[in-house]
Amino acid sequence: MENELALLNNYLVVGAMLFGIGVIGFVSRRNMIIIFLAAEMMLQGVSLSLVAWARYHNDFGGQMFVVFIITVAACEAALALALILMLFRASGSLDIALWQHLREANQPAYVDEEIPELEVKSPTWPRLVPAGRQPELDRSDTEHRPSV
Amino acid sequence: MESWIPLLLVLIPVLPLAGAALTAVLGRPVLAGRSHLPVVVGIAGSFLAAAGLVLAIHGSLPAGANLPGAGDSVNAGYERTVDLWNWAVIGGAYHQPAGPDAFVMRDFRIDVTLRADPLSAIMLAMVTFISLLVAVYSVGYMRGDRGYWRFFAYIGLFVFSMTMLVSVSNFLLLYVFWEAVGLCSYLLIGFWYERPAAAAAGKKAFLVNRIGDFGFALGVFLIWTAFGTLNFHDTLGADGRIVAGVLGEARLEGGSIGIGGGTATWICLLLLLGACGKSAQFPLHVWLPDAMEGPTPVSALIHAATMVTAGVYMLARCAPLLLATVDGQMAVALIGGFTALLGGLIALTQTDLKRILAYSTISQLGYMFLGLGTGTVLGATAGMFHLFTHAFFKALLFLGAGSVMHAMGGVVDIRRFGGLRRILPVTHATFLVGCLALSGFPLLSGFFSKDLILVAVHERAAESGSTGLYQWLYWSAALTALLTAFYTFRAFFSTFYGQKQIPHEAGGQAHEAPRSMLVPLVVLAVCAALVGGYFEVTHGFADYLQQTPSIAYLARQAPQPAATGGHREVMLTSAVIALAGIGLAAALYWPRRSAAADAARRAGQAVGFYQLSLRKFFIDEVYQVLLVWPGLAVARASDWIDQRIIDRLVNFVGRVPPAVGAAIRPVQNGLIPFYAVGMVFGLLVLLAAVLMGWGWLGT
Repeated sequence: MENELALLNNYLVVGAMLFGIGVIGFVSRRNMIIIFLAAEMMLQGVSLSLVAWARYHNDFGGQMFVVFIITVAACEAALALALILMLFRASGSLDIALWQHLREANQPAYVDEEIPELEVKSPTWPRLVPAGRQPELDRSDTEHRPSV
Repeated sequence: MESWIPLLLVLIPVLPLAGAALTAVLGRPVLAGRSHLPVVVGIAGSFLAAAGLVLAIHGSLPAGANLPGAGDSVNAGYERTVDLWNWAVIGGAYHQPAGPDAFVMRDFRIDVTLRADPLSAIMLAMVTFISLLVAVYSVGYMRGDRGYWRFFAYIGLFVFSMTMLVSVSNFLLLYVFWEAVGLCSYLLIGFWYERPAAAAAGKKAFLVNRIGDFGFALGVFLIWTAFGTLNFHDTLGADGRIVAGVLGEARLEGGSIGIGGGTATWICLLLLLGACGKSAQFPLHVWLPDAMEGPTPVSALIHAATMVTAGVYMLARCAPLLLATVDGQMAVALIGGFTALLGGLIALTQTDLKRILAYSTISQLGYMFLGLGTGTVLGATAGMFHLFTHAFFKALLFLGAGSVMHAMGGVVDIRRFGGLRRILPVTHATFLVGCLALSGFPLLSGFFSKDLILVAVHERAAESGSTGLYQWLYWSAALTALLTAFYTFRAFFSTFYGQKQIPHEAGGQAHEAPRSMLVPLVVLAVCAALVGGYFEVTHGFADYLQQTPSIAYLARQAPQPAATGGHREVMLTSAVIALAGIGLAAALYWPRRSAAADAARRAGQAVGFYQLSLRKFFIDEVYQVLLVWPGLAVARASDWIDQRIIDRLVNFVGRVPPAVGAAIRPVQNGLIPFYAVGMVFGLLVLLAAVLMGWGWLGT
C-alpha cells in the first residue's frame, strides 16, 4: 500500500511538472508552434495523472479517458497545424503577437520594444584641407554633430 | 309587438356605430364628400327603431294603468331587460355581515344588459331624432370642411355612446358610456384643433368633467358597498336566489329602497356631483360656454340637447335613491335653482350669440335639476318633460345660430350684425319660434314644461312648509323665467331687427342656408311649437313616463297631492312673466330706438352689476386663482425637482458603468499570451481557494 501511494506520488509529481512546464511555455513563448507544443505538454501532464489515478484505483475509466484525450489531441493537432500554416502564409511569421486584431476598438496595438531604426546615411568622408588657408567651418558640422 | 323589443334595443346603438365605423374606415379614401351617408342612414334607422320601441312599450303597458287614480297603488311600472353577454364576474366579491354569524356573499357581476322602459325609450327617441336632424343639418353646414368624414365618424360614435348610456342597466356601464360621451364631446369641441381656443376648450371640458366623474365614481363605489350590486334590475344570483337590483322591482315593491340616513345622502350628493359635471351645473358649469368653440351642430346636439342632459337622466333614473334623503333632494334643488339663476344672469350681458345660448342651456338644465329636486313625481315628470321640450327648442336655436354664422362668415358677436330678417327669412321665423318656446310664451312647448316645474316647486313649497327653501327657489325660478325671456329676445332683436348690418367676413354675399340646413330647422320649429301643447292636452308624456319603475315608485311613495288651484295660478304667473320679459327686451332693443331706451340701456351698463354679469361673476378668474395657480405652482415645483434632482441622480448612476468600462477596457488587448496569463491566474486562484478552503469552494 505504501508502495502504491509512493508510486502514485511519483507519477503525479511528473504529471504536475509536465503541466507546469507546459503552462510556462504556453504563456512565455511567442512562436505558435512552440505554444502548440506547450499545450500538448499540458495535456500529457493531465493524461499522466489520469493514468496514475486509474492505476491506483484499479479503475480503467481513467485510462479510457486518456485514450480519448490522445485521439482528440491528434485531431486537434491536425487542425492547429493547418491553422498555423495558414497564419504563417498570411503574415510570413510565426509570431503570435502579430495577431491581435480582436482587441477592443480604440485600444492601441501592442508593440514590442521599438526597434531602433538603422540610421542609414551617407558617411562623411574627411576632406583635404587646401593648404595655406584657414579651413572654412562647415556650419552644419558645428551645429549638428551626427556622430561624436 | 313586445317580442320586437330585444331586436330594437340592439339595433338602436348598433346602427350608428356601424355607420361610424364605415365612415371612419372608408371616409377619407373612398367616401370623401359622401361621408355623411353611412352615419345619416345609421341614425335614421336608429331613430325608426327607437320610435318602434316607444310604440312597442306603449302597446305592452297594462291597459287602464294610464287612467289617473286607477291602479296607482299597484302600478309597478314596466321594464324589460335584454341580457347580451356577461362582461365580468368576480366570485364572492361582496362580503357583508348580515347578522351575528351570517354573511351575505355575492358575486361581482357586470352583465351587459340593455333595458327598455318608458324613461329609456323617451330618451332614445329624443336623442336619435335630434341626432338625425343635426346630422342632416351638418351635411350642409360642414360641407367642404377638411375633416368632413372625421366629423361624421365622431357624430356616429357619439350617438352610439349616448344611446348606450340611456339603455344600459348597470351603474358601471352607465359610467363607461358616461365617459364615452365625454370623449366624443372632447373630440368634437376640439374638432378644429388648429385653433388654440378650440383645443383649450376641449381640454377644459375634459378636465372639469373629470371632477364630476370622480364624484360619480365614488358614488358608484358607495352604491356597491351599500347594495352589493350595481345592476338597476333584479338578477338571479349564483345560489339561485334573486339579487335585488338597486332600482329593481324586488326592492322597489318593498316600499323602501333599503338604505337611508348618511349613506343615502352621500350617494345622492356624489351622484349629484357627477351630474353637475356632465350637465354643467354651478360649480362645474365653466366648461360649457367654452365648449361653443366646437362646430355649431355639435353645440346643438351634444352641448344643448343630449349629452348635457345625461345628468338629468341619471338623477331621474335614481329618483328612488333621491327620495330616501331629504337633504339630497334639497341639495339637487338648490344647485338647480341657483344655477338657473346664475346662468340667466350671465346670459343677460353676453355678446356672443352661441354663448348666450350656452348660458341659457345651463340655466334650463338648472330648471330640470330643480324639478327633480322636489322629490315628487310631478317634479320628476316635469324635469324630464322640460328636458324633452328643451331638446327641441334649444337644438333649434343652436341650429338657427349656426345658420346665422353660416351667412355671416363665422361671426357670432351680436353687436356686429343686425337686421337680418330679410336676408334669412326662414332662419328668422324658426328662430322666433325657438325664442318664444324658450322664453315660455303661452301655448308653446317651453311654456308648459317650465310651468310644470314651477307648479312642482310651488306645491313642494306649500306642502313641506318646514323649510322656506322651496319657497325661495320658486321665486328665484320665476325671476329666472323673466331673465330667460329677456336675454332670449335681446339676442333675437339684436340679430334680426334694427339697422341692417353685415360684417365684412360675410364677403358681401350673405344668403340663406342650403335646404339640408333649413329642413331640420323647420321640423324642429314645428316640434318646438307643438310637442308641449300636444302632451299637455293628452297627458301622454306624464302617463307614459310614470310607467317607469323608478318614477312609478315615486308615485307610490309620494302620492301626487290632489290637484289644487295653484296650477292655474302658476300658469298665469309664468305667462305674465314671459310676456313681461319679452316686453322689456322689446322696449330696450326694438328697432325704433327711442332716446329713452338708449338712455335706459346706457344707465344699465353703468351699473356695476352689468360688469359683474359680463365678466361671468369672475368665476373663471376665481378658479384661476384658487385652482389653476396652485396647480401650476405644484407642477413647476415637481418639474424642478424632477429636472434638477431626480434626473441628475439618474444621470449620475448612468455614468458609472461607462466609467468602470473605460477603466477595465485595456484588458481586452487582443494578445493571446495575455489571455493565457489571465486563465492561469484564474486557475491559481481556484486552486488556492480549494487548498485554503475558502467559502463553498473549499468543501
